Amino acid sequence: MNRSARLACGLVAGLWLSTAVAHTPLCSCYDNGDGTLLCEGGFSDGSSAAGVDVRVVDADGGVILEGKMNENSEFELDRPDGDFTIVFDAGPGHAVEIPASAIY
Amino acid sequence: MKHAVLSACCAATLLAVPAVQAHFQLLYTPEVMLERPTNLDLELVFAHPMENGHTMDMGEPEAFFVVFKGEKTDLKDKLEPITWRGAHNEAKAYQTGYRVTRNGDYIFALVPAPYYEANEDIYIQQITKAYVNKGAMPTGWNEPLGLPTEIVPLTKPYQVFAGGTFTGQLLSDGKPAPGVECEIEFINTRIDQEGNAFGAEPLAETPATTIVAITDPNGIFTFGVPMPGVWGFACLGSGPATEHAGKELSQDAVLWINAQALNGGPTVGEAAQGASYRVRDNDSLSTISARVYGDAGAWQRIYEANRGQLSNPDALMAGMELVIP
Repeated sequence: MNRSARLACGLVAGLWLSTAVAHTPLCSCYDNGDGTLLCEGGFSDGSSAAGVDVRVVDADGGVILEGKMNENSEFELDRPDGDFTIVFDAGPGHAVEIPASAIY
Repeated sequence: MKHAVLSACCAATLLAVPAVQAHFQLLYTPEVMLERPTNLDLELVFAHPMENGHTMDMGEPEAFFVVFKGEKTDLKDKLEPITWRGAHNEAKAYQTGYRVTRNGDYIFALVPAPYYEANEDIYIQQITKAYVNKGAMPTGWNEPLGLPTEIVPLTKPYQVFAGGTFTGQLLSDGKPAPGVECEIEFINTRIDQEGNAFGAEPLAETPATTIVAITDPNGIFTFGVPMPGVWGFACLGSGPATEHAGKELSQDAVLWINAQALNGGPTVGEAAQGASYRVRDNDSLSTISARVYGDAGAWQRIYEANRGQLSNPDALMAGMELVIP
């Protein structure tokens, strides 16, 4: 109940308003060591990031891959070649950009 | 100084009941807010941290585990016995390592073996919790673990600031425990994790007597944290077990927090007065708002606070002294 209310609120904010909501997007990515990467997202108030858009862009800003955080607020992908940035995009003012160099 | 403390202590002993020193089961790791995957070093030591006093032998713990997102991982088999060097003596203690990778709250819990305290002819068992967070993502720090007795934080335990407060709720068998005395201490010495030792000298003056808070009818207590450091709360005798090996048992609930200094903010006096801003040529409320708040859209806050001298937002004139709320 609480969670769906928050998600709805996040959607409203993302679609129509540019005001900052009182939570900060969080995202960390890890190298699984087998050629795949795992990203986990969330918000500083503890709410879920399920369904949040994830993009991988190359050094020129071209989109390599698009997807969404799964029900556990996670996203797995094959490690792209070369330089890239993973974008956790929870709406205007609520994006986290993770360059390849900041993957643990 | 030390001499005076000692003689005062002896006088108290002679005159009245034996002076009860505050025992604290330490469950220590230096960094409790992690940004990146980290190998934690955890130290389990039974001591008198605020007076940097006697260190006591720990028996083999009954349980030691970590809870992450509701999932419990047993760490008891990973404990390594060590000898801990206190300021005055050596004692048996434990250490272990733990790898934190994923974002969220890690709640470490220790159920030590009951310790026989000859001075009081009782056993003491301090069931202890400590918190580590990674990635600023909260995932259940305010949930109880279901221990026989425990302090459940009502303030985020890894984000407590000196000058702020910490509030906790004491549970016994899962129910609020009213009227229980909770002793409060800080680790008043450096901790040498490599050398398994406390520093010889205390960091700060040792308070003259134990700091105490008593839980209210809902089992809740609040403490104003006066300075940065590692602070511990030990609520005494709150657990359901009252006897061990034919003697009285004090089953206590202990919780540790790291209080940080919040640097760079205004002093209390400055904050109470509010800041002010002298209007310059070509200023508008939104340019001032952008300058003082970093957000041009917050100009109405300034306007509302200055309605006494601004009949409308365009009535701004160079030289006016605005209140910045």
